[in-house]
Amino acid sequence: MRIDRLELLNYRNYESLDLAFSPEINVFIGENAQGKTNIMESLYVLSMAKSHRASNDKELIRWETDYGKIKADVYRKYGKLPLEITLSKKGKSAKVNHLEQRRLSDYIGQLNVVMFAPEDLNLVKGSPQVRRRFIDMEIGQISPLYLHDLLTYQKLLKQRNHILKQNYGKKIVDDVMFDVYTEQFIEAAVKIIRKRYQFMDLLQKWAEPIHQGISRGLEQLQIRYQPISGLQPEWTSKEMASFLEQKLAEVRKRELERGLTLVGPHRDELQFFVNGYDVQTYGSQGQQRTTALSLKLAEIELIKQEVGEAPVLLLDDVLSELDDYRQSHLLNTIKGSVQTFVTTTSVEGIQHETIQSARLFEVSQGTVKE
Amino acid sequence: MHYPEPISKLMESFMKLPGIGPKTAARLAFFVLGMKEDTVLDFAKALVDAKRNLSFCSNCGHITDVDPCHICQDPQRDRTTICVVQDPKDVIAMEKMRDYTGLYHVLQGAISPMDGIGPEDINVPSLLRRLQDEEVAELILATNPTIEGEATAMYISRLVKPSGIKTTRIAHGLPVGGDLEYADEVTLSKALEGRREL
Repeated sequence: MRIDRLELLNYRNYESLDLAFSPEINVFIGENAQGKTNIMESLYVLSMAKSHRASNDKELIRWETDYGKIKADVYRKYGKLPLEITLSKKGKSAKVNHLEQRRLSDYIGQLNVVMFAPEDLNLVKGSPQVRRRFIDMEIGQISPLYLHDLLTYQKLLKQRNHILKQNYGKKIVDDVMFDVYTEQFIEAAVKIIRKRYQFMDLLQKWAEPIHQGISRGLEQLQIRYQPISGLQPEWTSKEMASFLEQKLAEVRKRELERGLTLVGPHRDELQFFVNGYDVQTYGSQGQQRTTALSLKLAEIELIKQEVGEAPVLLLDDVLSELDDYRQSHLLNTIKGSVQTFVTTTSVEGIQHETIQSARLFEVSQGTVKE
Repeated sequence: MHYPEPISKLMESFMKLPGIGPKTAARLAFFVLGMKEDTVLDFAKALVDAKRNLSFCSNCGHITDVDPCHICQDPQRDRTTICVVQDPKDVIAMEKMRDYTGLYHVLQGAISPMDGIGPEDINVPSLLRRLQDEEVAELILATNPTIEGEATAMYISRLVKPSGIKTTRIAHGLPVGGDLEYADEVTLSKALEGRREL
């Protein structure tokens, strides 16, 4: 898929903007704080109906205006698909092919993007929460059912925690009710765990050869998804459920003391190993960076396989963070097959032919010149 | 715009009803001014009567003007089957079908610890009493297919199981007469889960 044209109206620092893109590489050059990332963010919002960095949609609307709009002509293999997102102080609405979508979940998935921003280096270094969010966002993009299962799980977790809190430090008053919610909680948890296993297997399959390529055949990447220690991926749903039941029974006393559910996919961890060493603890900065890059490139392949079309790649300020070898590996991988948007403060250090043939845009104080 | 007090009071009352804003309220209020006094009196009486004479059936919890309600009193009804629903509106929906001849039990809600609603806060204890006193062969759990409705159904079935009464849960999946292509992914996956052999 590709984006041919982007129109912004009252979005961040842009009053109005109308850009036509190259199907291959588009580079935005400019000093800091000129609005490069805002363009990348608008493309991300176009895909996911929410920003990757702002928690409040109001921040996306230009100062002292009431509403903002992002419009784009997207091309997928079966033809043109106009997308539109309107942001207002009351909320947002989304249109596909000029038709308003009743639910945002119907909108998400029309355009797939993979974003690689400096924050993504935290994927390896940061807290487990960052990695769980990565899993959820990526599976959600290719499976709407997963989003529903995740929502159910989170609600059940809340209900179960509530029962535990009500009975702080005592015995559960209504055993039957607790059991009913626990049983439903386990059922939802198993669904999430199975989906995550499935996804991690696919990701591993793609990430391994990519990582080998980037590290010139020197490093072997292994992704390990570990839900609950002792749980085996080849088990049936029934076996997983009875295992979870047993684990929950073991921690019952501590759960009551703390008023919290202590076992389940909300505490999952994702680990990365290079040549058998845990990258998070023992990896160098460069290795952590390469791992994050391998994961992002694997994601592109994964979406290609699951959706049947390559996603759009957004590289926000990361090209300059990579050394020459990694840069050219990245650019070779995407060449000709993935529409890419890049932001950078200058193209001087980048020698690669792909950048030489790219369409360049100069960004300065909220205006963009080709 | 300043209205005389009787009109503004009437408008304020209309606005307490769901779906009525200031404009509709003004239109209704002025319409009432043009009505005959008898009609207005009947109208007012109907409002008060509905509130005063309606209560909840002491047996099944459905809204009624007589106690026990018409359904519980009806000798034609199959007294060995009870259908458990969350809301009086669900009884009315089931009755429209004209195919169910058993009795009902209205819970007036669903169990949700998050909102502080436990089994004692809805009509679960009265259901258990009924199951002890009456000759019941089957209990149909027709709570909503939400997390709370599902938990409530499971909760009741756990309590009832030792007594040996047959408990069933209504099916969920595709609406009849609808096209497959219009169903959302979640409904479709539920329908697929509940498929059966032909």
